[in-house]
Amino acid sequence: MFYNLALLSRNCTQLAPAFLALILIVASSGPEVVQAQSTTTQAASSDTATQRDAVVKLLKSNCFDCHGNGESEGSLQLDKLLEQTDTPESRSRWWKVLSNVRAGTMPPPDSGYVLAGDEAATVLEWLKYSAMAIDPLQPDPGRPTVRRLSRREYANSIRDLMGIDYNADVMFPPDDSGYGFDNIGDAQSLSLMILEKYLTAAKEIVDKAVPTVCKVIPRQGFKSTDFRGSSKSRNGDNMRLDKTHNVSRKFSVDEDGTYQVAIELKQHGSFQFNPQRTHLKIELDGDTLHEAEYGWDESKRNKLSFTVDWQAGEHELRFILEPLKLPAEAKVEADSYAEVDVEAVAVEGPSDRAKWKHPAGYERFFDRDEPPTEVTELREYASQTLRRFALRTFRRPADESTLNKLVDLAEQIYSQPNATFEAGIAHAMIPMLASPRFLFRTDKIDPTSAGEKYPLIDEFSLATRLSYFLWSTTPDDELLKLAEAKQLRENLDQQIKRMLNDPRSNSLAENFVGQWLRTRDVSKTSIDPLEALGLQPEYDELRAEFRGRQFRTKSPSEMPTKEEAKRLARFQELYEKRTLLDAETRSAMRRETELLFETIFRENRSLLDMINPNFTFVNEKLAALYDIPGIDGKEMQRVELPAGSPRGGILAQGTMLVVTSNPTRTSPVKRGLFVLENILGTPTPPAPPNVPALEDSAGKFGDRTPSIREVLALHRESALCSSCHSRMDPLGLALENFNALGMYRDADNGQPIDAAGQLITGEKFKNLQELKQVIAGPRRADFYRCFIQKLMIYAVGRGLEYYDEHVIDELVLAAENNDGRLKSIVHDVIMSAPFQRLRPSDSPSTLAGE
Amino acid sequence: MKQPSTNSNTLSRRNLLRGLGVALALPAFESLQRGVVRAATIESIAGTGATTASGAPLRMAFMSIPNGVQQAHWFPTKTGNDWQLNETMAPLESVKQDLQVVAGLDHENATAGPDGAGDHARANATFLTGARARKTAGSDIHVGVSVDQLAAQKVGDITRFRSLELSCDAIRNAGSCDSGYACAYQYNLAWSSPSTPVTPDANPRSVFERLFGAGKPDERRKNYALRQSTQRSILDFVLEDAANMQRELGQQDRRKLDEYLEGVRDIEQRIATADRFGQIPNPAMPTPDGVPPTLAEHIDIMYDLLTLSFQTDTTRIATLLLAYDGSNRTFPELGISEGHHHLTHNQNVDELAKKVAKIDQFYITRFARFLQKLKDTPDVDGNSLLHNCMIVYGGAIADGNRHTHSNLPVILAGNGGGKLNTGRFVEVPSQPMSNLFVTMLDHFGVAVDSFGDSNGRLNLI
Repeated sequence: MFYNLALLSRNCTQLAPAFLALILIVASSGPEVVQAQSTTTQAASSDTATQRDAVVKLLKSNCFDCHGNGESEGSLQLDKLLEQTDTPESRSRWWKVLSNVRAGTMPPPDSGYVLAGDEAATVLEWLKYSAMAIDPLQPDPGRPTVRRLSRREYANSIRDLMGIDYNADVMFPPDDSGYGFDNIGDAQSLSLMILEKYLTAAKEIVDKAVPTVCKVIPRQGFKSTDFRGSSKSRNGDNMRLDKTHNVSRKFSVDEDGTYQVAIELKQHGSFQFNPQRTHLKIELDGDTLHEAEYGWDESKRNKLSFTVDWQAGEHELRFILEPLKLPAEAKVEADSYAEVDVEAVAVEGPSDRAKWKHPAGYERFFDRDEPPTEVTELREYASQTLRRFALRTFRRPADESTLNKLVDLAEQIYSQPNATFEAGIAHAMIPMLASPRFLFRTDKIDPTSAGEKYPLIDEFSLATRLSYFLWSTTPDDELLKLAEAKQLRENLDQQIKRMLNDPRSNSLAENFVGQWLRTRDVSKTSIDPLEALGLQPEYDELRAEFRGRQFRTKSPSEMPTKEEAKRLARFQELYEKRTLLDAETRSAMRRETELLFETIFRENRSLLDMINPNFTFVNEKLAALYDIPGIDGKEMQRVELPAGSPRGGILAQGTMLVVTSNPTRTSPVKRGLFVLENILGTPTPPAPPNVPALEDSAGKFGDRTPSIREVLALHRESALCSSCHSRMDPLGLALENFNALGMYRDADNGQPIDAAGQLITGEKFKNLQELKQVIAGPRRADFYRCFIQKLMIYAVGRGLEYYDEHVIDELVLAAENNDGRLKSIVHDVIMSAPFQRLRPSDSPSTLAGE
Repeated sequence: MKQPSTNSNTLSRRNLLRGLGVALALPAFESLQRGVVRAATIESIAGTGATTASGAPLRMAFMSIPNGVQQAHWFPTKTGNDWQLNETMAPLESVKQDLQVVAGLDHENATAGPDGAGDHARANATFLTGARARKTAGSDIHVGVSVDQLAAQKVGDITRFRSLELSCDAIRNAGSCDSGYACAYQYNLAWSSPSTPVTPDANPRSVFERLFGAGKPDERRKNYALRQSTQRSILDFVLEDAANMQRELGQQDRRKLDEYLEGVRDIEQRIATADRFGQIPNPAMPTPDGVPPTLAEHIDIMYDLLTLSFQTDTTRIATLLLAYDGSNRTFPELGISEGHHHLTHNQNVDELAKKVAKIDQFYITRFARFLQKLKDTPDVDGNSLLHNCMIVYGGAIADGNRHTHSNLPVILAGNGGGKLNTGRFVEVPSQPMSNLFVTMLDHFGVAVDSFGDSNGRLNLI
C-alpha cells in the first residue's frame, strides 16, 4: 500500500520534507516482515556538510543566545554539543533538542526567536539522520531486555496453562513500573522474597490443578436445598418435625452398575427438649430404602449408606416426613422446636473400575486414557507429556537434557510402590513453574537471519511477544504450533486478526489503557464528595441539628416544623451525596473508558474517537452523575451524545477527571500535566532546581477568595514557574467545568468558570469542546505520536531511545494515512523493527561512520 | 560464610552467661530460650557482630515517614537534660528516656541538584542509601546499597532471615512515578545492590507465614518444614536451568538471572543452615489475616511482626516503609479529607499546617506503641528488647512545604545494647545523615570507612 503524500504534507507540517519524500512500502502479506524501505533523495553522505552548515547557522541565530557562547540554560550548550564526538549520550542530547523543536517548545514561542516551518524541518531532518545517525533502512531495534512476568501476566498465564485462577494480586507485591508501565524489563527486580513466593506458588498451583490419579469413581453430590417440595418454599432444609414434608430430587447416571448412595441427615432443634417425633421414609425410584422414627436432638448427624444396582438413566430420591401424634401427656415448651435436614447426599458409582472417569482437568495435562504399564513405554509417555507441558510453559521447546532431568524427577516418584504416574508428572511440573524459563521472557535470534546486523527474533519469541502484548498471557496452542512449524511469520496478518478478535485482547484495555490513562486507579482515588462539592459545612451544621433526634408521626409535639422538615429533607439529600462515588459508580467509570477503547478496536474506528466521539457508555448511576436522562439499570449501555454535550472522550470521562483530582477539589495542574504527558506527549522543560514556596499567595487578594485561575495566574508571574505552568495550566483550566467527581458545573465557589485558553503552539479554544477539536484536528499528529510511543513502550517492554525516532515517525505517518484506525496502529507496531528484531546482545549501539 | 556446628558452643555460652552472673529470666516463650542459644552461636563465629556486650542480639531497624514534618510542632522545645517533647511527639512521653531526637542531619543527595523535579522519589531512594538516584524512568536504575542491606550482607547469616523488608503501602498508582523517576525509587527503602531494590511485603499474613510457617498454630512447624523440602526439590532443577539460561544471554541482560541465581543460593543456604537455628519458633498469636481495613491497624500489626521477629531472633535487621514519599493518603479517621502530600504544600496556612501536624502525630502514636511494646518485652540478657535495639525513625524530606533536605526529622530509639545515650534532644552540627549510619554500623560490628555521602562519624549520639 502506498501512502498518500498529499494528505501528509497537509497534516504533518512538522515533518521534514525529505522525510515526506520517503516512499513507504508496507507489505501486507507474504513471508517477508513488513519493512519500511525508503528511497530518500538525500542519501546521508553527500549533502551532509552543506546541510550541517545550514543547521549550524539556524542554531546560531535562534538558539545560541541561551544555549551557546557560554550560555547554558537547562544545562544545554549547543556549540559544545556540536563539537562533541558522536556517542550514544550525545545522540540522546540531540534527541531532546529534536523533541523540543518538534513540539514547538523551543525556541520558546514568546522569545522572539522563530524557526520557520521549513527551517524547523531542515533542523529536524539533520538531527535525525546525521546528529542521531539513524539509518532509516536499518533502524536499530534496541537492545534485548529480559522481562519478568508482571503479576497480572503471571496470573493470566497460570489460568491458561493450568486451568485455575490464582490470585496474584493478593499473593505477590505490586510490580515496580517504569516509563508508566509494569511490564518494563529494566524496571523490574526479583528479590529473595518474591522468589520464595514463586516457589511456594508453584507447589500450590500444581497441587490444586494437576490430578494425581488417572481415574476416579464418578460422584454426584447434593445438598439440602437441591431436594424440592411441591411448593417453591419447601426444600430439604429445616424440615420441622410437626409438619408433613415431601421433597425429592431426580438425577441420572451414565452407566449400569453398582452404586453407593450416602445420605447424611441432620437432626437439630432448640436448646429445650421438644417431644415432637416424625416418621421419615426415604424412597428410591418409588421403593422404600429406609424408614425410621426421628425426634428432637439439639444437634446430631446420622449417616446412612446404601448399595444399589442401577440401570443407566434417571433415578429419583425422595424424603417423606409424617409427624407422629403427640402423646397426651407431652408438654411442648414455648419456642422449642425440632427439625431434620437432608444435610448431604452423595451418589458414587459405578463401582466397576473399568467404568471410572478421569478427574477434572485430566485431559489438559494427559492425552492418553491411561498411562501404559510397561516401564520403557511409561518413560516415553512421561517424556511426551512433559515435553508438551514444557513447550507451553517455557513458550519454546525444552532441550533434551532438561527434558531428561524432568523425566527423572517424575520417575523418582512414580516408580515408587503405590505411587501413580500422574503424581510423578505433577512433581516434575513444580520446578517448571518456578523456572526462570517460565518467569522470564527472553528473545532469541531467528536462525535464518542470524548474520544480519539486526536479526529477526525467532518464531517462538514472536509468538510470546504477540501474546503478552495483545493478551497479557502465554501463547496458545495455535501460536505455538505455527512457531514450531516456522509458519507464524507467514501467517502473521491472519494471526493478529484472530488475536484481536479474541476476548483476551480486552487485556489491552485493562492493562495498557488501564496504565496509560490510569483507569486502574479510579477505584481507589480518594475523593470526599461533600468537601469537593463545598457542602461539608452545611452538612456538619445540619448533622449537629438533627443528630439523635427522632420524629414520630404519632406524637404531634415531636413532629418537625415545616422549616425543620425542609432542612431535614436537605440533610437527607446531602447524606446521600456522600456516596456519589461508590464502588459501582467508580467501576462504571472504569468500564466507560475501557468500553470506548474496546469499541474503537472492535469497530476499527479512529483513535481520534478517544478524544471526540459522539457517544459514550454509562449505566444508571454514572448517567445520573453525568446528568444524562433515561438510563436504567446496572448494565453499561451505549448512548449517543447530543450536539453540544460536554461529555464524550477521555477528557470528559470520570476516570481521568477523578484520578487527576485532589481529595477535596480539582487540580488543574495535575489535569494539565496529565494531558501533556498522556495525550499531547509534549515534553515539559526541566523543572527549576529550587521550586520556591508559594507563601502567602492568598494574601495578595485581600479578603476575597481568589478563583483557581487567579491563583495559577499569580503562579505564572514567576518566570521560573511559567515555563511549565504556561503549558499545563490552560489545559487543566479547560477541564474546570468538571468537578473532582467528574460532574459538570458552570461555576466554582460562586464564580463562573472560564475554560478558554491557548496552547503553547498557538491554537486558541473557548471551552473543552473546542480544545477537543484542536487535539483531534490540527494537533492530532501529537496525539498519534504520544499514543504510539506509549503503545510501543508497552509492546517491547523498554523505554524509547533516540534510535527509535525514525520508526515512531513512520508509525505516526502510517496512522495519519489510515485515519488513525486503531487496529492498523496495533498491526503496524507489531510489524515494526523494535517488535520484530533485536540488536544482538553484546553489540554496542551503532555509531556514525560504521 | 561457613558456619561451624553449634552444639558445644551452646553449652559454653550458657556457662559463660551463668559465670557472668547474668540473670536469665527465661520466659515460657521458648523462642526466647533459643535466643540464648543463638547468642552463643554468634559469638563463636562473628565476634561481636550484631551482638551487645552482654551477648544479647543487637537489632537495627529503620522506619520511613513520608512528606517531611511540620517542624515547629515536631522537634522538641528545649535541648539538654530538661528537654521537652513538642506537641507532635507527646505520645512518646512514656518512652522519652529510651530515645533521642536528633536535629542537624541532612541528605544532600536528596536535593534537586542537576536532576530537577522528583523530590519525593529521590528522597525515598536516598533515605537509607545516602546516595543520589540516577534519574531514569527505568532503563538504568542506580542508587546505592542501603545501610540495612550492607549490614545484612555482612552479618545477616547469624539469623534465619538476613533482614526483613516491610511496607504499609500496598497500593500502587498506575502510570509514571514522580517526575521521571522509576517507581522502584519511590516504593523501596532497601537496596541490596545499587540497581536492585529489595521489595517490601505489605501483607501481614504473608510475612507471618514466611517467617513462621502457614496453617493452624500446631501445623506451622510441619508446614514450614514441608515448604523447605519443596524448595529443596525445586532448587536443584532451577539452579541448573537458570545457569544454562544465563549462558544463552548476552552480558547486558544477565542482571535478571543474576538476581534469580542469587536468590536461589540464598534459599539454599537457608535450608542448609536450618539446623543451626533449632526449632522454628511458634509464636503464641493467630496468623494475621490480610491487610487490615485501617492504616492504624495495618501499621500496628507490622510493628507487632517486627517485635516478634526481634523477640524470636528471626532477624536482627529490618526496614518498614510506613508510606512512600509523596503519599497522598487521606485520614478520614482524623477528620482529614485532604491528601497528605497535598496538605504539606500548604504555603504555611496555619489551619492546613495543623492538619499535617495531626498526621505527623498519627505516625508518632503508632511508633510510640511499638516502642512501648519493645520496652515491655524482656530480652535474653534481662534488658528490654528496646534496650538492645537501634531504631531510626524519620524521612529524607525535612519540610514538606518547601522540600528541604537539611535538619531532617530523625528519632533514634533504643540504647543499642548500651552504646547509645538516650533521653536527650541532640542538636548536632550540620552533617550528612550517612554519618549516623556509619556510627550505627560501627556499633553493629560492621565497621566501614564511609557510607553514602558520609564525611565522618556521628559521635554525639
